[in-house]
Amino acid sequence: MAASRLPRHLRIGLIVLTVGSAIALGLFVDVIGRVQEMVREKDPETSNPFTPAAAPLYEQNDPPMPVKLFFPSVKEDVVLSSEEQTIFRSAGLTNRARQILQKLLDGPKTPTLYPSVPKDTKLQEVFVDDTGMAYVDFSSTISANHPGGMLSEQATVYSIVNSLVYNLPEIRQVKILVGGAEKETLAGHCLLLPLAMDLSITDVAPREQVNNAD
Amino acid sequence: MRRIVTGVVLAILATAILLFYSRPLSAADTDFLIYFENSTLALKSQTIDRTVYLPLQDIVRHLGLASTDATGSLTFTIQGQNSRLVLTPGSGFISYNDQPILLQNPIRREGNQWLVPLDFLSQGLSRVAGLEFRYRPGSRRMFAGRVATTELAMNAQSLGALTRLTLRAGSPIDVELQKETAQRRAVIVLKAKAIDPARERLEYKDALIQSVAFDDADGMPRLVIAIADDVRDVRLTSSDGNRVYFVDFVREIATEAGPTTAVASAPPPAASRPNPNVTASSGVRVIVIDAGHGGIEPGAANGSTLEKDLTLALARRLRSAVQSRLSSTVVLTRDSDVAMTSEERVAVANNNQAGLLISLHTGFSPDKMAAGSSIYIMKPDFTGGVPEPAGGRLFLPWYMAYRLNAPASKAMAEHLQRNLTQATPGSKFPIRHGPIGVLASATMPAIAIEVGNLNNEESVKTLTDPEFQTKFTTSIAAAIEQFATGGRK
Repeated sequence: MAASRLPRHLRIGLIVLTVGSAIALGLFVDVIGRVQEMVREKDPETSNPFTPAAAPLYEQNDPPMPVKLFFPSVKEDVVLSSEEQTIFRSAGLTNRARQILQKLLDGPKTPTLYPSVPKDTKLQEVFVDDTGMAYVDFSSTISANHPGGMLSEQATVYSIVNSLVYNLPEIRQVKILVGGAEKETLAGHCLLLPLAMDLSITDVAPREQVNNAD
Repeated sequence: MRRIVTGVVLAILATAILLFYSRPLSAADTDFLIYFENSTLALKSQTIDRTVYLPLQDIVRHLGLASTDATGSLTFTIQGQNSRLVLTPGSGFISYNDQPILLQNPIRREGNQWLVPLDFLSQGLSRVAGLEFRYRPGSRRMFAGRVATTELAMNAQSLGALTRLTLRAGSPIDVELQKETAQRRAVIVLKAKAIDPARERLEYKDALIQSVAFDDADGMPRLVIAIADDVRDVRLTSSDGNRVYFVDFVREIATEAGPTTAVASAPPPAASRPNPNVTASSGVRVIVIDAGHGGIEPGAANGSTLEKDLTLALARRLRSAVQSRLSSTVVLTRDSDVAMTSEERVAVANNNQAGLLISLHTGFSPDKMAAGSSIYIMKPDFTGGVPEPAGGRLFLPWYMAYRLNAPASKAMAEHLQRNLTQATPGSKFPIRHGPIGVLASATMPAIAIEVGNLNNEESVKTLTDPEFQTKFTTSIAAAIEQFATGGRK
């Protein structure tokens, strides 16, 4: 055969060339595959068209509504004291809840009260279901930046729960979410199960039973 | 050149042949048990395509069912009282009274042997034999008909000088401990007919225990525990009317334990050295102390002073303070710097059948001048009077477990308040109620103590002072003693 008469170094060269071109071919085929994949991935899904436009929480002509906000107190025998503030009585329940929570995040105006929620915490979502349970989602800084302490954690949790349930009688329980997810405890102490209002740790008397005054 | 090529080819062929023939050998046979009401059948199972197969003829013979193995028509027929089951090899379809039933895996025939997958027993054979077959996936046993099974759960935990294996049976059973020190193992023979273990082996290993495995291959259910060289003694204690057993693997021989082979009624395990002044505690056999936070979760902090370190130091001091007063076993939820969820902490107390759970925390108040200390018990109905479903509740959610012991928890909190205010004059320990994670699912009296205020430099100095730590934990231990001896019977 002609090939067997080829010098040895040429034969080795031929083998190396064949193997090399086979690898190159493989790579080339894969490159085609990758290009195809890139084309496939380029489907127009870059922006979510369903993101709602930011709606205002209240209208200019909404009437004012006085609310009691609960903040940690320096008084010895109570955990939370209240502070009067005003929000707009907007039509949507969640809008009123959002305004209350935003005031809570902004902190107290009274010097004898302390902020209840760690700085830089953002309110992400509020949702109230048919049974009167409010789901309130905060950014994860509410847990991560919490200074700790059982009493101060109880104060954080109940300043949120009490401020909502006391001012909005439609809400009966509050379930706090952290960073969009359920968490066992806020910072190692207080359970984040659906919680009812607890006025026994405050200096505020229960509201008179005016059924659905709002 | 040719010789080398031939050699290589031959070597590859030899390896291929070796691999091919060694495969079925390694895949074959572990013994499989079927527990019937009055008998037990041991079978040689085969694993083919990751499916466990059982020899059909052995089962049919044991059940005394009539069968015909028609070699010509390649079918196997089982005759029941008014029913007939026909099997065809290589097919997942079986015919029951001429109605097809599809199995997940095909019937196999190897030589003269008919092999059936496990679901054949529950889908097909159960109809002809009139027996129900129960199987826990991953196990090597089945339970047929009305055989009375005893469920068995086990867990292990290191308690420092000893490792405790807790066995929990669904109904009372007798057990016998056999110490095979020469083989470095202990065998616990379970004297019940059909044991249904939740797991075949315990994924647990520490300095004293190497492995824990359930074994009933010869029809005699037992636990085989491989132990380390350090283990000097194994002790067995029963509890809860022989439903719960504690097996303690001890590093050194305790004075009261003799060189027995079968200890059926050993004295209650005590982790402490026998103390002549110890008062026997009647109500509380195990006390669990929880050091709050840990690992990546430091809790409150003041500079380099972290809550997790303080609580661990206090927990260790409290352990020795309690052990010097009571004969109870004291268990820490964590004895090192590890993170745990509240649920895991309570599980330590629940699994050890503890009579008391105490969780230690330090305080932090935004108000630098605040005292910070409190005693916490669970706030009743913190979710706010959820209406009970009509006809009552069948199950309680775990977070309501605290309800059973609410009065006892309150009594313990009062003992504590009295002792702590006496020991540290000027400081108050108000009893507060809150939805505390570590207390909610406790099935025993449970309280949490929050001490000091890490936002206050003076308080930090006090909390890190060993003298204060001793004084503080001693008065907690005194409260525990009052509670254990008189507060609750």
